[in-house]
Amino acid sequence: MFDFSIFTKWLDALMLSVMPEWLTLIIECVLVALGIITLYAIFAMVMIYVERKFCAFVQCRLGPDRVGPWGTIQVVCDVLKMLTKEIFSPRKTDRFLHGLAPFLVITASMTTFACLPWNKGAQILDFNVGVFFFLAVGSIGVVGILLAGWSANNKYSIIGAMRAGAQIISYELSIGITMLTMICLAGTMSFSEICQAQADGGWFIFRGHIVAVAAFILYLIAGNAECNRGPFDLPESESELTAGYHTEYSGMDFGYYYLAEYLNLFICAGMASTIFLGGWAPFVIPGLDGFNEIMTMIPGFVWFLGKVFFVLFLLLWERWTFPRLRIDQILKLEWKYLVPISMVLLVLMALCVSFGLTF
Amino acid sequence: MSNQITPIVVTPAELHDKLAALKAEGYDLLECLTGCDWGEEGLGVVYSLTKSSTTFEMTHIKCVAESKEQPTLPTACDLWDIANIYEREVYDFYGIIFLGHPDMRRLFLREDWVGFPFRKDDEPETKNAEVPAGNEEISDTRHKYTLDAEGNLQCEDSPVFEEDAYVVNIGPQHPSTHGVLHLRTAIEGEKVKQIDPHLGYIHRGIEKISESLTYPQTLALTDRMDYLGAMQTRHALCMCIEQAMGIQVSERVQVIRTIMDELQRIDSHILFFSCLCQDLGATTAFLYGFRDREEILKIFEKTTGGRLIINYNMIGGVAHDLHPDFVEDVKHFINETMPKGLKEYHSIFTGNVIFRDRSIGVGPLTREQVISYGCTGGTGRAAGWACDVRKHRPYAAYDKVNFNEITFESGDSMDRYMVRLKEIEESCEIIRQLIDNIPEGPIQEKMKPIIKVPEGCYYSSVEGSRGILGVYLESKGDKSPYRLHYRSTGLPLVAALDEACRDYLIADLITIGGTMDYIIPDIDR
Amino acid sequence: MANKTYFAGLVGGIKSLCTGLGVTFRELWTPKVTERYPENRKENIIPERFRGTLVMPHNENNEHKCIGCGICQMQCPNDSIEVVTEMVETEDGKKKKILKQHIYDQGKCMYCMICTRACPQGAIEFAPEYECAVFDRQALVKTLNQPGSKCAEKPKPAKPAAPAAPAAKPAAAEPNGAAPAATPVAPAADDKKAKMEAAAKKAEENAAAAKAAAEEALKAAEAAPEDAALKAAAEEAQAKAAKLATVAANFQKKLAEM
Repeated sequence: MFDFSIFTKWLDALMLSVMPEWLTLIIECVLVALGIITLYAIFAMVMIYVERKFCAFVQCRLGPDRVGPWGTIQVVCDVLKMLTKEIFSPRKTDRFLHGLAPFLVITASMTTFACLPWNKGAQILDFNVGVFFFLAVGSIGVVGILLAGWSANNKYSIIGAMRAGAQIISYELSIGITMLTMICLAGTMSFSEICQAQADGGWFIFRGHIVAVAAFILYLIAGNAECNRGPFDLPESESELTAGYHTEYSGMDFGYYYLAEYLNLFICAGMASTIFLGGWAPFVIPGLDGFNEIMTMIPGFVWFLGKVFFVLFLLLWERWTFPRLRIDQILKLEWKYLVPISMVLLVLMALCVSFGLTF
Repeated sequence: MSNQITPIVVTPAELHDKLAALKAEGYDLLECLTGCDWGEEGLGVVYSLTKSSTTFEMTHIKCVAESKEQPTLPTACDLWDIANIYEREVYDFYGIIFLGHPDMRRLFLREDWVGFPFRKDDEPETKNAEVPAGNEEISDTRHKYTLDAEGNLQCEDSPVFEEDAYVVNIGPQHPSTHGVLHLRTAIEGEKVKQIDPHLGYIHRGIEKISESLTYPQTLALTDRMDYLGAMQTRHALCMCIEQAMGIQVSERVQVIRTIMDELQRIDSHILFFSCLCQDLGATTAFLYGFRDREEILKIFEKTTGGRLIINYNMIGGVAHDLHPDFVEDVKHFINETMPKGLKEYHSIFTGNVIFRDRSIGVGPLTREQVISYGCTGGTGRAAGWACDVRKHRPYAAYDKVNFNEITFESGDSMDRYMVRLKEIEESCEIIRQLIDNIPEGPIQEKMKPIIKVPEGCYYSSVEGSRGILGVYLESKGDKSPYRLHYRSTGLPLVAALDEACRDYLIADLITIGGTMDYIIPDIDR
Repeated sequence: MANKTYFAGLVGGIKSLCTGLGVTFRELWTPKVTERYPENRKENIIPERFRGTLVMPHNENNEHKCIGCGICQMQCPNDSIEVVTEMVETEDGKKKKILKQHIYDQGKCMYCMICTRACPQGAIEFAPEYECAVFDRQALVKTLNQPGSKCAEKPKPAKPAAPAAPAAKPAAAEPNGAAPAATPVAPAADDKKAKMEAAAKKAEENAAAAKAAAEEALKAAEAAPEDAALKAAAEEAQAKAAKLATVAANFQKKLAEM
């Protein structure tokens, strides 16, 4: 498996040889930032396209097919449209907070995006407490949503924001516990080490067998709710609150929420593939050397993206099947079902690990 | 088979006692309340009462207000809940003040409208020459009028909402009000405390326009009221005129009209399902409904030339003979598309735990409430009230077919939903019985070039897609109606919304509104 | 679900969700129903009874049936028809009212069919034309009688058009002269074919008439090259002829398939 850090180290050494250290650092930071933003934008567009096509096919439609071959340029056009729209903030809004809110959301989303391990050695942020950092930064987003609702001076917005607050803060609990279950198995909080462990010893979803599969499903449900995606899209529930917390946003300010929503979905899927499906780790079956060799030849980022899109398929499939939950149902689901079950899973996993019942 | 009615005339002083006595006698449904300007005779109303539990027999009470300058009548709000909104409608158009009515505001027109446009001597164009360009100020004050000892009108004001109520405007532009309905909703957290419907955004005054149109021309407007019951509304008006003129349409026309009405009902119920899914966030099921509904629209289009605005029923017949493919297409639809579609609807939506949780026990209306509010159709039948006029006052070919009247018990959102899905099956069954036995005969009776209805009052009703659709026609023997009033199927449903939604959540308001299945152009005629 | 136990509720709920997922998964592979509109113009046959716009059919001699009586104008609830007539002196010295212009404002029309039903001559009818969008509202005001057209002389005055069902005429024009009222309940296949043939024939006639009219209009336009209105009319007539020819071809194709 190709180690991407060889390339980055080489680049680093090359630059250090011709320029001072501080300049290298600045250039590297800029390069990385550009990388994140480009990837972020590209993946948002890909996701929007995939979702629109997928939901169309589920609904017996063809989806966008007018602009470009199979409608591929449609999303680009939509992004351009959004960029050129007037940014408008209504009277009596709290201008400062109203402007700030989308940036909080997008910052949280981008920072978590940077935690994803794309390939062996290709990870932008890698800490020894990576999971912890991921959870902490991810929860900044809800502040942006609450501010958006509060500052807009609109009743729909404030109801939407309050729902978002209740929902996201609740569901963070089960996300945390399910991740903890897997950390229990991995023994580390660093994403690179989690992936490495899975590359060496098999994916956690197999090693943790039933408990891991259950945790995986729980994580997907909670992650979906965390992203405010249907059937958990109460904060914006268009048939009740027209657009919920972002009712009063237009142009690119709205675009940030839109991008963040899709990217959060991507991040949710990426995180699920990292901690359950091995991240960039190839699929290997011990004993079948020929098969394993072919699998290992496939680059890590292809593995990663393949897994991400598999998880995305599951999330989209579910999103386009179910009706929206009601606020009491959403909290009942979390506190009556998800939290107790995830706690049981954590205990079970701890028992499995300590008695060596994992593979 | 005449539909002529002779209203019993009572004086304003006796009116309330007479109504109360009739209600005690079993006439407990206020089916229709028609205001009218009888010129010299004065302004007044006609109450159309129905024995809702037994024979569906009707009686009509006419009452003329004493003064023309300040017409007043006693209210019937204490007898029927629906009288509240009906009397507001009469007040809005005729300026008749109902004494003791708790909320004498305008219903459809703007608060700043001058005059009462349905009066024959009113000049709305000159009085309202300047078209208001500003926002409409919505009044938050209710007026209650009473007479003092000297006979002077006393007004007592009270606020619509409590002082610290948190009022959210659901509508007029809102995705799930299915049109321009404006519900001012007082909420407490997520809980709905009170709903004040604000109507009239697309009121076109069809009843008033009809007074200046010839009878064939009035038909053209019916399709534009309840656009998901276009066939039935037009059927009702045609039937009313035909029976008034003593025209017997052929068996063939009767059967064609029955089949078309049922196709329209299926169309409406599929759309109900689709829109409910959409309102509850299940966008996929929404499109499944639309996919199947397309087939009905294609059948309509082939035979009638229209999809939504159909223009099919004519006075004395129908506009076109059936298309050669009609029988085959309809059979394909009722035998293949619809059973398959229904199965899919049930598996993707009816059984879904989220939907069941959101609808069972949500917004129940009791049998007494639906009768008092006049909520006919699926909403009434869900509460256990057998109110299908196809059964109780059969018309067209409904007395020749066997079908079940679907009723449920609890009257909650789930029952309202299930009534409609079950009715699709019943409608298919009705069509199945008729489609192979369409008798031969002319599709159009010979009519005089100018159609005149003999002098008198007439009332006909059909079972529309969402309840009893009545037509009250008063003729002076001219080629235009003197007064044409439609009993809206949706107005009682909106009136009952406040009662049904109280203390449920905002999300439930959407569910309840969706399952009530009202159509805005039918409310704002 | 409130009365069920915790686990029964959980299992039942998951089961119902899986049923739903199964439905959407199956639908993922079913044929799609999207109409690809501008591309499907050829396959997308609009039913002949569809009311797209009001037309006044002309025969091959550029003759229409309108006698300018103005009943349609009187009956129209929306004032969307204006019949302009003029008095002319005929060869035998009698004064006669003839149609000068039949002006139809499509923007006002609500397609209620009162005019076509009221017309004693069956001179106007609705055509299944559906691409009626224009950029200027004035373009919706159309003159239905073609330039240079005149009212057809009635060779057989004893053949009144059935005003009751003008659009059902193609069905009534059966070659063997069967009574139109005796339409069978479930039409036999050959009967259907006969009807189709009649319809196809009529479509062809229409196409031929439109072609003739277009040629004549073109000639008129060439004779007066400075008259832009004539030129536009000629172009329009040509477009119409082409469209009607396609309709006729479609009918033939359908007929061949039967």
